[in-house]
Amino acid sequence: MLESLQHLWTGFGIALSLQNLFYCMVGAIVGTLVGVLPGLGPIAGIALLIPVTFGLNATSAIIMLSGIYYGAMYGGSTTSILLNVPGETASVITCIDGYQMAQQGKAGKALAICAIGSFIAGTIAIFGLVFLAPPLADAALAFGPPEFFSLMVFGFIVLSNVTGGSFLKALMMAVAGLIIGTIGLDPVTGEGRFAFDSPSLLGGIEFVAVAIGIFGIGEVLVNAGKPAQLLAQQVVVPRLAELYPSLSDLKESISAILRGAGIGFGVGLVPGPAPVIATYASYMVERKVSSHPEEFGKGAIKGVAGPESANNSACQSAFIPLFALGIPFAPPTAILLGALLIHGVTPGPMMVSEHPGLFWGVIASMYIGNFILLLLNLPFVPIFANILRIPKTILLPLVMLFCLTGMYSVNNSMFDVWMMLLFGALGFLMRQWAYEGAPLLLGLVLGPKLEVAFRQSLMISQGDFEVFISRPISLAFLLATLLFLIVPLLRRALRRSKNRPAIG
Amino acid sequence: MKNRFLIALAVLLLGGALPLQAADFPAKEVQIIVPWAAGGATDVIFRAVAASTEKYLGKAVVVVNRPGGGGAVGYTEAARAAPDGYTLVSAITPLTILPHQVKTAFTYESFEPVICITDDPSMFLTKSDAPWKDLKEFLQYAKANPNKITVGNSGAGGGVHLVAVAFEKAADVKFNHIPFAGGGPSVTALLGGHVDAVCVSPPEGIPQVKAGKLKIMALFSERRMKMFPDVPTVKEQGIDFAMGMWRGLAAPKGTPPDVIGTLHDAFKKGMDDPAFRKSAEDMGVAVHYSNPETFKRSMALDDAFFAKMVKDLKK
Repeated sequence: MLESLQHLWTGFGIALSLQNLFYCMVGAIVGTLVGVLPGLGPIAGIALLIPVTFGLNATSAIIMLSGIYYGAMYGGSTTSILLNVPGETASVITCIDGYQMAQQGKAGKALAICAIGSFIAGTIAIFGLVFLAPPLADAALAFGPPEFFSLMVFGFIVLSNVTGGSFLKALMMAVAGLIIGTIGLDPVTGEGRFAFDSPSLLGGIEFVAVAIGIFGIGEVLVNAGKPAQLLAQQVVVPRLAELYPSLSDLKESISAILRGAGIGFGVGLVPGPAPVIATYASYMVERKVSSHPEEFGKGAIKGVAGPESANNSACQSAFIPLFALGIPFAPPTAILLGALLIHGVTPGPMMVSEHPGLFWGVIASMYIGNFILLLLNLPFVPIFANILRIPKTILLPLVMLFCLTGMYSVNNSMFDVWMMLLFGALGFLMRQWAYEGAPLLLGLVLGPKLEVAFRQSLMISQGDFEVFISRPISLAFLLATLLFLIVPLLRRALRRSKNRPAIG
Repeated sequence: MKNRFLIALAVLLLGGALPLQAADFPAKEVQIIVPWAAGGATDVIFRAVAASTEKYLGKAVVVVNRPGGGGAVGYTEAARAAPDGYTLVSAITPLTILPHQVKTAFTYESFEPVICITDDPSMFLTKSDAPWKDLKEFLQYAKANPNKITVGNSGAGGGVHLVAVAFEKAADVKFNHIPFAGGGPSVTALLGGHVDAVCVSPPEGIPQVKAGKLKIMALFSERRMKMFPDVPTVKEQGIDFAMGMWRGLAAPKGTPPDVIGTLHDAFKKGMDDPAFRKSAEDMGVAVHYSNPETFKRSMALDDAFFAKMVKDLKK
């Protein structure tokens, strides 16, 4: 522990050099930008800047590229709150309460609490990264296909009703997500499914297209359907006194931020789209522990603070498997792995001893980067909040344009743009009949992973289903899922028998 | 204003009508379509060679990722691109596999080879503390227990999966093949002890071998690897089997030969550049040059080989 602190001190020496400070800042700014732009996410951002780093030394390069990753988590919430367009996949949940807050003139508060929560959670997670990396990385290895499957089942059942509406409708949406997730190449046999020989469908449906479609385009369409006069009146003027969170807001949010940090850190260690799942889990927990669950979905500050903290913390802990094992669990860290290799650094068990300067320098830069991001984001809050002063008749076409260009930039594919529009229309219909978009996206994220883990497990066990219950971690998750389903039923049955003691 | 527009239009039309000449090539940036996601081994290698080639070509070389469909999306687009030399595609082993597995709008013959850049051996990795000391013990166990040893690969029908199946035949054993969503996840599963071995191609798994957590159980190359000179090939141990993963560049069919020549010369200089050599060595990938003709021949050989293998596998 003491040794780690000493190394960290040296790391700060490296990270605070003028050059590295500069690249940390560039990374933070670029990260915020790609986070703000819908479609363009940290993956594209890092990939675009890799060639720029060829002339740099490895430490500066990785400092800048990691900055893009966690910087994007700060920026991602901005368009979610202001326009209901998820700027980044991990900001889907933020749309729910963030957008409602903005419509009530509290956009500034929501934006600021995101930055503050991200800063606190990010800083906590880096501490975890410093002190717990090697043991946690080994623990993550205990998750083989059967454990992973059971965990995904647990996540699927527990998180599908994330917003707390009708359980039946939520489950229907989640299953629809699962079905959409099966389009494309079969992950086990490599054959095309529901692709009708179209190479684009063979590639599967892009998550970002569904997310921006259902949330962003759907919202534009709903507004476009309102009478023009009503639309003209709907300018949201941010209240000056509510530009920044008050002390009581902070007090209310701090517990959500801390819980979000913890949830994000844990989920970040699991392979897969950790930041996305972490936001769902955090939102679910906040709604469950809240004494006013009815406020969720109508602009609850905790519903913004928790998930936004969770995605930042998950993104920091995703560095643990990368640095300690040399294996990326998520796409953005996969690109960072590529960047490390280009610079002659092989991440993995030997990295800390082979390149101590780089390792501790990058870790220290994360503290500095998070601080820079806080300073960078808070002053922009009033500017961003004022975007909502733009009359909707002008703002809506702009949002549409923003979504179209953003979507195209992800894979440079027109097919994705058409998909986004298709899901936009679907999102509009879903809004009309009160179906939630979040469970569908969850199904789409978890589905392919769930299927692969299930089939892998059975291939390893040669068809024996016992593999799911003979392994303790897997069994524990399955039992927890069962409990989650049974307890409310039992409680209801109990209540009923109490209310009607005369029968029988 | 209107005049200027007309002049511009005329210039454009004239320019379009003139035949493309190598002397004018390249007049603008050249893009390389990589049909895999950013950050993967293929992406990283082509980004590195693009960066070191720009100064020899005199124009920017841009890598564009068009992932999806196991490469089908990117290859389809590249095959349909204008054959003017401004759109290239990273041609790697799966180009000769995919058309046999699913219905594709392309085969390797939809492209003109430009240059082969790397050729890496495939290999089996196991944990360092695996119960088998060497290849002999490993195969003995496999023979005695057919379908018992689980071998992870980076995706069903992908390059290393077929390599593992081909090795199975050469060594006359049977493995239980488990597909993963890429080399990274398969190596993770091996580290956690969820599979017994994995079939990979560098740079996948190299860091863990260097760190002593994993070992190379079987090396499928003609020569030993520079990085691990103590590891014998399977050929040395009496099994006539070698198979690797090549990566090179190709242009859409119909690209003029002199344009291919210009590109070939620039990328040859780019791959000989010390900067690229160093990144390749750091990654553990083996630089291997061949000219368009040789590259075409080896593609044809592999295509015939995989056509037969996929057919056998589907039976």
